[in-house]
Amino acid sequence: MAKKITGYIKLQIPAGQANPSPPVGPALGQKGVNIMEFCKQFNAKTQEKAGLIIPVVITVFQDKSFTFITKTPPAAVLLMKAANKPKGSGEPNKTKVAEVTKDQVKEIAEMKMPDLNANDVEHAMSMIAGTARSMGFTVKD
Amino acid sequence: MKKYVTIKITAEPQYFDLISGCIWNDEVEGIIENDHFLEVSSYNTSDEFKNEILDTLSQLKNNGGIADYSVSSTIGEERNWNEEWEKALNIVEIGEKFAIKPSFREYENKENRFVLEIDPKMSFGTGEHQTTRLMLLALEKYLTPEAKVLDVGTGTGVLAIAAVKAGAKSAIGVDNDEWCLMNGIENIERNNCQKEVEILLGDITNVEDEDFDLVLANINRNVLIEIKQELTKKTKTGGKLILSGFLENDTQMLLAHFENHFTQTELLQQDEWCSFVLSKNY
Repeated sequence: MAKKITGYIKLQIPAGQANPSPPVGPALGQKGVNIMEFCKQFNAKTQEKAGLIIPVVITVFQDKSFTFITKTPPAAVLLMKAANKPKGSGEPNKTKVAEVTKDQVKEIAEMKMPDLNANDVEHAMSMIAGTARSMGFTVKD
Repeated sequence: MKKYVTIKITAEPQYFDLISGCIWNDEVEGIIENDHFLEVSSYNTSDEFKNEILDTLSQLKNNGGIADYSVSSTIGEERNWNEEWEKALNIVEIGEKFAIKPSFREYENKENRFVLEIDPKMSFGTGEHQTTRLMLLALEKYLTPEAKVLDVGTGTGVLAIAAVKAGAKSAIGVDNDEWCLMNGIENIERNNCQKEVEILLGDITNVEDEDFDLVLANINRNVLIEIKQELTKKTKTGGKLILSGFLENDTQMLLAHFENHFTQTELLQQDEWCSFVLSKNY
């Protein structure tokens, strides 16, 4: 018989760097999940993606056991990485301080496809380009 | 105990990806995503940190990236968040020699095992995880009498304590997490091995001693590779290095980093988790 699910926890944490600090500690602890075991598993499974932020959805069962799935990093994180830039522009409409190429937008769109509500890559690209503009980035051909 | 801030951002969920992606910086520990709000955690409790997030949100709104939002914040204090899980901890028997029990459970030692009393709090190492079990299985097989042992990333101190209970002369446990220092000391006192086990706060470079007969490291692949030179240096020629904390897929890659100085003696595996026993040649 399938185990009874008692809740879900959605977190974003740096790949390979989960530790019992907040928010991991309090979020898992209050559901009675073994925090250190989650950290060990998450870190081992995301170690290849060092430097990226990984959204993770943890399913908690009645017996306090858990499973988790990881998702693609937020588009804004991928765009900043593509532009080699730590933060978005302070004045997005006045000063275009960062650029991403259409190819980079396509690459990000393809990577994000599983988590985007997009019909095809073109649609996904327009969503990613919209995110880029919200951040003050220019998308060049 | 350290203080931390939780900044709650209430907004339409469709903006969560953009907001969370834009507010990440080195001082953010992580973000919780709820149905209608995000919670950002950081040990930086200054107004400056909070204002930086407010500025980012304001820029996103001015640029039409997000609609209305509200922000509030609370300061909390670190504590043992594992308390709830600890209540359900059970006794674990490992191999032929070891049994690990939390202090609040009674254990009838019919097989004359070495009984380790471990309360983990926020540290790793209770015997429930495959990697701790693999390390203890290797320890019971390869520990030599009167050995000098180093346990890197000691967590609860479980491996260092197990080593001296099973006949090691002394053990040093080192960990860079403050919880582990506190918890490791509590556990060595609980097991009456304060004379034989020393717990240090820091990384492997903070251990002055060398020529260990047995070096244990149950951490993770990337850290094991990062500290490979130190691990090699601390293991005496003819001694053993036992590694764990990595997955089956990583065994060959990890082994390649150590085979200049070591020969693989054994590879142990439980589920997808593995452990190497390596013998130092020179």
